[in-house]
Amino acid sequence: MALKQISSNKCFGGLQKVFEHDSVELNCKMKFAIYLPPKAETEKCPALYWLSGLSCTEQNFITKSGYHQAASEHGLVVIAADTSPRGCNIKGEDENWDFGTGAGFYVDATENPWRTNYRMYSYVTEELPQLINANFPVDPQRMSISGHSMGGHGALICALKNPGKYKSVSAFAPICNPVLCPWGKKAFSGYLGTDQSKWKAYDATYLVKAYPGSQLDILIDQGKDDNFLSDGQLLPENFIAACTEKKIPVVFRLQEGYDHSYYFIATFITDHIRHHAKYLNA
Amino acid sequence: MTSEPRGAVKGKPQRDLEEDVDELVHLYGLEDDDELGDEFVNVNTPRIEISEYSPYMMARREAAMEQRDWRCSGEAAEAEDLSFGGWGSEGQCQDLREAYRYTHGRASEEYECYVIPEEEDEEEAADVFCVTCKTPIRALEKVLDEHKEHEVIPLSKALESAKDEIHKNMYKLETQIIEMENFASHLEEVFITVEENFGRQEQNFEYHYNEILETLAQKYESKIQALVEKKKERLEALYGQLVSCGENLDTCKELMETVEEICHEEKVDFIKDAMAMADRLRQFLETKTDVEISAQPALEDQNLDFSDVEQLLGSINTIPAPSAPVINPQAPNSATGSSVRVCWSLYSDDTVESYQLSCRPVQEGSRGKDQAEFTMTVKETYCSVTNLVPNTQYEFWVTAQNRAGVSPASECAVYMTAPSPPVIKTKEVRSCEEAALICWESGNLNPVDSYTVELTQAETPGASGVTESVVGIPTCASLVQLQPRQSYTIYVRALNVGGPSARSEPATVHTTGSYFRLNEQTCHPWLTVSEDGLTAVRSERRTPAGEPPPSNTHFTRCVAVMGDLIPVRGRHYWEVEVDEHLDYTVGVAFEDVPKQEELGANCLSWCMRHTWAKPRHKYEFLHNKMTPDIRITVSPKKIGILLDYENSKLSFFNVDISQHLYTFSCQLHQFVHPCFSLEKPGCLKIHNGISMPKHVTFY
Repeated sequence: MALKQISSNKCFGGLQKVFEHDSVELNCKMKFAIYLPPKAETEKCPALYWLSGLSCTEQNFITKSGYHQAASEHGLVVIAADTSPRGCNIKGEDENWDFGTGAGFYVDATENPWRTNYRMYSYVTEELPQLINANFPVDPQRMSISGHSMGGHGALICALKNPGKYKSVSAFAPICNPVLCPWGKKAFSGYLGTDQSKWKAYDATYLVKAYPGSQLDILIDQGKDDNFLSDGQLLPENFIAACTEKKIPVVFRLQEGYDHSYYFIATFITDHIRHHAKYLNA
Repeated sequence: MTSEPRGAVKGKPQRDLEEDVDELVHLYGLEDDDELGDEFVNVNTPRIEISEYSPYMMARREAAMEQRDWRCSGEAAEAEDLSFGGWGSEGQCQDLREAYRYTHGRASEEYECYVIPEEEDEEEAADVFCVTCKTPIRALEKVLDEHKEHEVIPLSKALESAKDEIHKNMYKLETQIIEMENFASHLEEVFITVEENFGRQEQNFEYHYNEILETLAQKYESKIQALVEKKKERLEALYGQLVSCGENLDTCKELMETVEEICHEEKVDFIKDAMAMADRLRQFLETKTDVEISAQPALEDQNLDFSDVEQLLGSINTIPAPSAPVINPQAPNSATGSSVRVCWSLYSDDTVESYQLSCRPVQEGSRGKDQAEFTMTVKETYCSVTNLVPNTQYEFWVTAQNRAGVSPASECAVYMTAPSPPVIKTKEVRSCEEAALICWESGNLNPVDSYTVELTQAETPGASGVTESVVGIPTCASLVQLQPRQSYTIYVRALNVGGPSARSEPATVHTTGSYFRLNEQTCHPWLTVSEDGLTAVRSERRTPAGEPPPSNTHFTRCVAVMGDLIPVRGRHYWEVEVDEHLDYTVGVAFEDVPKQEELGANCLSWCMRHTWAKPRHKYEFLHNKMTPDIRITVSPKKIGILLDYENSKLSFFNVDISQHLYTFSCQLHQFVHPCFSLEKPGCLKIHNGISMPKHVTFY
């Protein structure tokens, strides 16, 4: 598992790097970005995994969100993964912006022709962490996860499917109930087939209902002027209702005037970094 | 002048040291005994009498010249153990004499033994030292018979020990000189005292003898005058008698002549005249001639009365009545709450048997006779007057008395008792990690000068903590800087010119977290605050009888109460226990927040409001009537509130799951207080004085 450094830039005393590697799970070359805070020079730091939204690469978050200062101060290693396998030459993979390339949905596909490469769930929960733990000064016991939109969905399901694995979870405008939204229906039927009972295993709202109740503090920010909210793609109400019923701690902040963009993320990223730092550095 | 003997000792070069010692000894009349014998024969009694101070006098004036003269007098005194009788102990004298002998003897010995042989080195180099003979010898000589059995040591060693010895002796000599100097200055003092005492006695005698002479002169004058007057009176009387006697004689002679003439007259005429004459004679003879001597020549027995003179004479040797003592102003810190220590002094030549100290409380305006005045008799020149009223001025004056009489009264001096101890308002004590605010009641009706706060840190049980004091506090409250996470015992004292009061009852402060109580003065009438000041209850039964009238101090619309948070910038954390189904508001507000408005409905308050409209819990974070849209899935049972002045933030937490709920950014231009409101019957329980949980420190 050789790592190939693509770039390295000093940022807030630390280093923002991008690497390329051959992914076993995805069967292709994958890039990921990693920020090493100054503290990582001397000790192992906790890791925060960031999952981006539809059509994004590892670049969006590291160039637009402005998370570096907070990560530098709290001493967090931040890993930003790509959103799907790349260049797998599957027919139709580049035809849609909300399916295929750039839209992996953080599931392990069971349907052909996607099942060989589109194993993003295993990639972000298993392969990538192992790779990071083996190659960077991170503490394997302390990891958290966050994401935006489809990545927010990814972050929520990763945390809910693996109680105790992540110290905390947060999301920006996550797709909370993909089973019921157009994006989710399209993606899940494509990757998982028509059996909707299989879909529930990747749906945060359903997962909450079965969550065994390990301590998990969820922070969600949602822009009130987010078109996808009004289009019914995100459905946070359903998730909140489920969490209220199951007494899963969520603070859901509906932010007046904000949309779905990285401007919105940049506004509140510091709060999220602190949210994770509170648990990772406790 | 008196420092001359010492000056002489110091001034002379080192080589004269021995001489100096000699001279010093001469100066103080401390000569060796053998010399004493020679001089002793010259001694006579009158000399002994003057010896008490005459040597000293001369030493001061013409030390060198008179040396011999006074030396012998000194010796004489010494010989008869009189020399120091009046101004030094015999033992001291003996010590000095021995000390002198020691230094004198040793010094010369050293010169002879060690110094001189060194000079003889040229002849033949001695290389060892014979301890027995105390002389350096050549090693060769050791084998010779003279030193054969003797103990020898190397010359260098001998030299070293000899030098050591010299140094030791020099040190002793120095010590001796210092002692001598001290003794001289002591003598000097004694001299002055004696001089003064005798001077006073002289004055006393002069005064009394003058008084007697005056009395005698007066007596003489009056006696003489009386005598002259008497003499004049008597002589005048006698003269008058003499004159009238002469007149009578003339009358008699004239009558005689007339009768004779009648006898030679004719019968008829004779008879006529004789009848007339006979009447005249009878008339004359009937007038009695006074032949008693009106004044006796002899003097009456003059009884001279000298009793008053005798009394005056007698009084010369008895003591005079003392003069008025001088009462001292009050010494600082000499009073207690119930007593003062009054001090005074007498004129040193007065003999006083006792003093009468009088006392009267000073009261503004009416310094009447009704003021209780009391007097006590004491022997000392001070008196601790007890059973007084605290923080009160008393006027004192004192008279001295002895057998001869009572002195006039001293001036009046005003003394003040220390105040009563203040009373710490333990319910108003508040603290945070860095400080405590202590409030107290004066405990005194009259104002006091200032207060002192004393704090003792009870770091570990049993360890005697050091007491720190904050002094000069003008008001009945003090913000005391403290160390975090410690326990302190705090006392307050009140001070006035008389001194500090006793300590107040202690108050205990723990500087863990911030500690405050609910302020009942801000409390809405429908709320009750528990005894410990940490629980606010809105009762079910109470049926609100309309809205209470507006007020500036207590809440009138929202059923709220404020906590008294210590006015210290920094971080404060407290927790509130709530019921999930209770409608409540918790947060902070400025002290002058409008009390007739809801909390969060203005710019002066920031708070979290919970309303439960089944099945939903609604959480609002209100400031100026606005709230962000925030959904919380787990209802907190305990809300943590972090007030951070430094970062201008107010944060809310769900304590049980360490969940951050919301953070206000607020401009806290002045101090805020915690506030709590109950929109429905129920209760809020505050937990404070607790450490800030770690998760809170991230906000």
